[in-house]
Amino acid sequence: MPLQISIGSVPLSLFIREGTLLEPASRRYREFTHNSENGFPVVLKKPEARTQEDGEFSYLLDDARLILRSQDAEFHGVRHEYALDSLLRILLTMVLLPQRGFLLHGATVVRDGRAYVFFGRSGAGKSTIASLSPKGSVLTDEISLLRYSNGCWQAHGTPFWGEFRAAGQNRLVPVAGLYSLKQAGEERVETLDERQALRALLPCVLFFANDKPAHETLLRTLLGLVEQIPCHRLHFRRNAEFWRVVAA
Amino acid sequence: MNGQITRNPKLAWREVDGEMVIISPEDSHVHELNETASLVWKHAEGKTLEELVEKISAEYEVARETARADLEELLAALGEKQLMFVSPEAKG
Repeated sequence: MPLQISIGSVPLSLFIREGTLLEPASRRYREFTHNSENGFPVVLKKPEARTQEDGEFSYLLDDARLILRSQDAEFHGVRHEYALDSLLRILLTMVLLPQRGFLLHGATVVRDGRAYVFFGRSGAGKSTIASLSPKGSVLTDEISLLRYSNGCWQAHGTPFWGEFRAAGQNRLVPVAGLYSLKQAGEERVETLDERQALRALLPCVLFFANDKPAHETLLRTLLGLVEQIPCHRLHFRRNAEFWRVVAA
Repeated sequence: MNGQITRNPKLAWREVDGEMVIISPEDSHVHELNETASLVWKHAEGKTLEELVEKISAEYEVARETARADLEELLAALGEKQLMFVSPEAKG
């Protein structure tokens, strides 16, 4: 039986033979299990020498390889849960791309039924923001998943948390705003125009394709996002005072 | 310098508020063009320098010599960044 999960409303069927991998994976993705017969098949295999076939996407991460075709995916040479997690993230970026979705280095916090996405590279303060937010309000403290569905931009919970903690909530919440994190000596929100927003977002998007059509799709998706959702730069000290300016 | 001007066909780009945001898919490097360079990016494709000088000098009411000097400088800078190229002149 495959391990059935769903992340960002993408159902996946993970075929994992090794018990040493299945057990930690079941634990890590527990909140994201999902009973569906139609999950996108992801088959874990031993490493094998092969040449890339037409129409497939291949990505090598250390010694583990993702092979993505239109109907299924294979993960070769995954030896530990960290590699499995990384290949899953790469797979998701590829599957979400044509569906106006992407992964972002960001923490997502829900307040009054709307999602606030705080993004930045490592060290920017994502986990600080999450730790300063009420328990149960954080959809992720590390990797946010944004996707346009049902006529609006939604933030989805993800199992991808900092320090490899098993956490997250599998739900989706409409996005209220995007906040590029900048540590400062005061709390202040600066509104970004579309170009500034795009410039802030691009380095924080998880993206592994290296072809032109994929980048064109990404640009179109991000521009669609910043046209609809206000984007700001949040200057903040490492304390909970930031909500005063964010939810003002 | 009378060859055809072309954008680097490998690049993905998008106009945002009248200015171009360009990504190189190979290394995800992002280039942003200012207003003038964005105009060249939009209008130069497939033209020769002389055709572009004609268009820009008429549209923006600048002297041809000034337009030519500015465009040459701009195209050289865009070429250096591998964003636009001027193809060698075809030999007749």
